[in-house]
Amino acid sequence: MNTVLDKFAQAAQRPYEHVKAWKQERGVKAVGTLPMHFPAEIIHATGALPVIVQEMPDAITSGGGAMYPFFCGYTRSIVDQVTEDQLGFLDAIMFTDHCVQLLSAADVIRISRPETTIHFHQLIASLRQPWSLESSVKTLRELVADLEEVLGVVVTEEALRHSISVFNENRRLIRDLYQMRRTGQIQLRASQMQHIVKSSMVMDKETHNALLRELIASLKTSTAPRSDEVAIFVSGHLCHAPRPEILDLIEDCGATIVDDDLYTGYRYVSTDVDAGIGDPIVALATAYIRKNDNVPCPTRIDPEVDWEEWLLGAVDRCGAQGLVVLLVKFCEPHYFAYPRIKAAFERNEVPHLMIETEHDGVAMENVRTKVESFVEMIKVQRAARAVAA
Amino acid sequence: MSAIITPEQRILGAEPPIAKKANRLQATKLNNQMVNAYWEDLFRAKEEGRLVCWTEGIQLNPILQAADIAWCHGEAAAALLAARKESAAPQAHMETLGYDRELCSYARTHIGCGVMNQSSTVEAQTLLNVDARTLGSRIPAPDMIISAYPFCSTGQQWDNELYRTFGKKVPIFNISMDWVWGNKSSAKYMSGPEFREKVAFLKKQLQDCVRFIEGITGKPYDWDRLSDIMKYTKRAAELRLEAMRLCKARPSPASFFEWTNSIAPVNFLPGGPEIVHYFEQKKAEIESRIAQGIGSVPVEKYRLWWDGIMNWNKIGWLSDKFAGYDACMVAGRYTHMGFWQEPQVIDLRDPLDGMAQNYITCPISISAPQVIEKIIEHCEYYEIDGLILHGARTCRAFSYPQYMIADAVGKRLGLPVAMFEGDMVDETFYKDEVVSSRVEAMLEAIDASRARMR
Repeated sequence: MNTVLDKFAQAAQRPYEHVKAWKQERGVKAVGTLPMHFPAEIIHATGALPVIVQEMPDAITSGGGAMYPFFCGYTRSIVDQVTEDQLGFLDAIMFTDHCVQLLSAADVIRISRPETTIHFHQLIASLRQPWSLESSVKTLRELVADLEEVLGVVVTEEALRHSISVFNENRRLIRDLYQMRRTGQIQLRASQMQHIVKSSMVMDKETHNALLRELIASLKTSTAPRSDEVAIFVSGHLCHAPRPEILDLIEDCGATIVDDDLYTGYRYVSTDVDAGIGDPIVALATAYIRKNDNVPCPTRIDPEVDWEEWLLGAVDRCGAQGLVVLLVKFCEPHYFAYPRIKAAFERNEVPHLMIETEHDGVAMENVRTKVESFVEMIKVQRAARAVAA
Repeated sequence: MSAIITPEQRILGAEPPIAKKANRLQATKLNNQMVNAYWEDLFRAKEEGRLVCWTEGIQLNPILQAADIAWCHGEAAAALLAARKESAAPQAHMETLGYDRELCSYARTHIGCGVMNQSSTVEAQTLLNVDARTLGSRIPAPDMIISAYPFCSTGQQWDNELYRTFGKKVPIFNISMDWVWGNKSSAKYMSGPEFREKVAFLKKQLQDCVRFIEGITGKPYDWDRLSDIMKYTKRAAELRLEAMRLCKARPSPASFFEWTNSIAPVNFLPGGPEIVHYFEQKKAEIESRIAQGIGSVPVEKYRLWWDGIMNWNKIGWLSDKFAGYDACMVAGRYTHMGFWQEPQVIDLRDPLDGMAQNYITCPISISAPQVIEKIIEHCEYYEIDGLILHGARTCRAFSYPQYMIADAVGKRLGLPVAMFEGDMVDETFYKDEVVSSRVEAMLEAIDASRARMR
């Protein structure tokens, strides 16, 4: 078991070394994608390795001369990676998501390194228009045609269907792990779960699936009730991973993270692509539109779904006793959504704590004090309820 | 540089001496009258039984005007409140509710007005400390919201937040504006298959938007009236561009600040003979100044470009500040590259296509390589000596290319730049001491460059 988890951790911690080694070993191309909703099955179907460009923990250096400091850590990090020549191993970069900061970073990348092939195919962000599905299908067909031209390959429907099947299996296996954690059958830490999901974003999916199967088979399951620790749901970080140290810190303060909606977490695996839909591009577009029902994304425009209501339900379903919101500094969609989350949790008397994270560092001891107080408060409330009962 | 502060003054915290004042155009008074009349008319809309639409981003007002719908343009409302020193109240309400101040200040101010409109009960007003006499609370609540924001995803999220602020009871129509990224080498400014495709998509959504409007008004849309309104808008835009081009003259008869003060007629005022008359007056005054050799600043030693959205709290103040430096802000991206910037493509028989082309080529919607080329063209035409890059902290859409602009104009034109942070309507981000020191350094660099050329 440890060997498998170590492999996930290595790929998650040194994603680009893993990709470079894979390219060298297999002689394949690697195509970078930017978060959040890119259908990587399409790249997989070309035979290339899809790689989600990750925020790196390194300090921003030359990239600071290309972008204002009031942009989010992810976008400043990827610009810095380009200006520091760290992404040259990618054969192209593709992205589909409408986020002003992501678009800005991509434009900076294009000008800073004109030799980089970086293409944009804009998926409609407004999900409930009569033309949302049609528009998404059109965009994805253009993306396929563009990839065929850039990579010099032909993408067949059969290849797309196979890729969808492989990705669905990957999502299902990770969801199985989530379910076992929710019920207390397994005791994986949140940082280990992050390694599992993050490694899936940069590893070959078939290889990742094989490792997941091996891991699940090796895990010792328990039927004992969950420990006395405070169960927490973690929300936020919509497009990149929170530092694992923060997740460890929360769990070192007497809490157990039992579920999340993080991008490098459940959000990434929430929605399968319906293999029963005949046209695989229509299937991928449909999954994009429907994903918001499973885990709402505040970067999408969806009048029918309220993230705060969904969160209240999600916290209740997993048996968590509180919510920790990890809010990335300068993330405007999260800034818009957070006051409603705060109000909903206060209205329903469900404890919640917001922690703002920054690329350039978080005062960990301050966070520790906040989390310790938060956990103690929940324990006191729990004890008071037990006495009252 | 008579206005440059001395080290002694800096230590003592003295204000920089503003020895000279900008020479303001008389025609601007007419603009102010039209703006005041527009807002008073909007404040009366509900009493007069008119429907009200809230919208942001592109200039949808001709489409609404043709359907007899009153409109509140979010940025215009925020800018009005800032110019009249009333933006702090709605911003404070938003902060009370938990909205971070790094969020778009236009959105915070405008949604804050929505909150104030929601807070009509005495109890709510007490809780939020709402003063019903403030401008923000006089803006009538919407009967519909139309969202159409180029490039900036925050714009769509802003409208989504408005929709939720009004309890999801106000119908909303979301227009998606695709960015012309340029995946193919055929993609050029206003040409190529990618551009045409995006224009067609936007035009189709505008047509659907008209059907949405018809559904609310219950009346067939008056397309002839839209053509008539666009006739005035197009002519006003042409006159504005002609007048701006005249400012190539030395000294420049009008400044970027004057053009900022003239945004309303091409951004949110009703299309009609009044806006055409306004730009005729303005152009005539500019021609007269050129004939007499009168400049926008008393002494024009430096000709500058302003990149970034205006700091609406400080238009007049900044205008005088630069006049004090003997510097004329001749032109800028915000004014000279937007607001019906391509009127020639508007065909009055079928105005939606040309309107869509203008919407898609506004200065935050064209990509950085095209922005840079356009700025270089302008800098060469207006014989610019240096660039002011105002990084509006909460408008990332406008600010993001500025490092690249600085690099390109430095390498290709040899122009110095002064970069500083500020904001559109949250004046707490503006630090005058930083601005002064950076501007003075740039002007000294221009002086040094000129000395070397002698």
